[in-house]
Amino acid sequence: MAALLLRYAGRPCLRAHLSPRLCIRNWSLPMAMSICHRASGIALSAGVSLFGLAALLLPGNFESHVELLKSLSLGPALIHTAKFALVSPLMYHTWNGIRHLTWDLGMGLKIPQLYQSGVVVLALTVLSSIGLAAM
Amino acid sequence: MGWARSLSRGRGPELSGPELQPPPSSYCCLLLSPALLLGARVIRPAFVLGSLPDRPASGGRHIHLTASCCSDSKAASLHWTSERAVSVLLLGLLPAAYLCPGSMVDYSLAAVLTLHSHWGLGQVITDYVHEDKLVKGANASLLVLSALTFAGLCYFNYHDVGICRAVALLWRL
Repeated sequence: MAALLLRYAGRPCLRAHLSPRLCIRNWSLPMAMSICHRASGIALSAGVSLFGLAALLLPGNFESHVELLKSLSLGPALIHTAKFALVSPLMYHTWNGIRHLTWDLGMGLKIPQLYQSGVVVLALTVLSSIGLAAM
Repeated sequence: MGWARSLSRGRGPELSGPELQPPPSSYCCLLLSPALLLGARVIRPAFVLGSLPDRPASGGRHIHLTASCCSDSKAASLHWTSERAVSVLLLGLLPAAYLCPGSMVDYSLAAVLTLHSHWGLGQVITDYVHEDKLVKGANASLLVLSALTFAGLCYFNYHDVGICRAVALLWRL
């Protein structure tokens, strides 16, 4: 994420420069999940903002856009994949958000509990994403 | 996480301003407020800093509570609680949008979604934008973006099918 920000600021690609910071650390599940929580939050916010701005700027109403999508005759596999791609960041952020709220209540803060709740969140994410994409 | 990072930067006692700014690190503020909205024992962020800041100040730094310190801490604490309350509200709105779609849920969703994402992105800015010159600009841009998003969502709810119906239509593809 820091690499992305610096790239936009015009500095040279810093992957090599960052690699000791990334390779030295022992990556753990809670660390990776925290990063994914933030990334999914940013992605979801971007999606909502794009939707809001599109509503203000694009011509035509929503139904005309849906008709346009229907006219593309996309295959069901592609549609299911797209639905899954849309819904999985939302589900991950929701379930992990509940995990964050339980931490804020002071529960589940021991290290083994962190890993257990993390695995539960990942499982719930996959199951709920598949379920919602199939609807 | 954002609050902790800001605390360790060792800002001076002259810190004041918008309520989103974290309290100064050189003061000792232990918050023991009772739980409010969550109805259970809520762990408040405890800004307990008994040690002196990293950089030595001329004449030493006195650890004392000023009115500005306490009002900053109270504002930060209220902000923290409001963030959790909005998260819980949003959590409740998601099944509501499925079970009873309508314009009430549409407008509530527009407001709560925009506020949650605004505060979330505000924490991201606090964590990653360190230069004082850039912080104000970044927060201002975020405010513009959130305002436009909210306006767009309300416009969509009013002039178009509304958020709940839009998701239903999209899913029927």
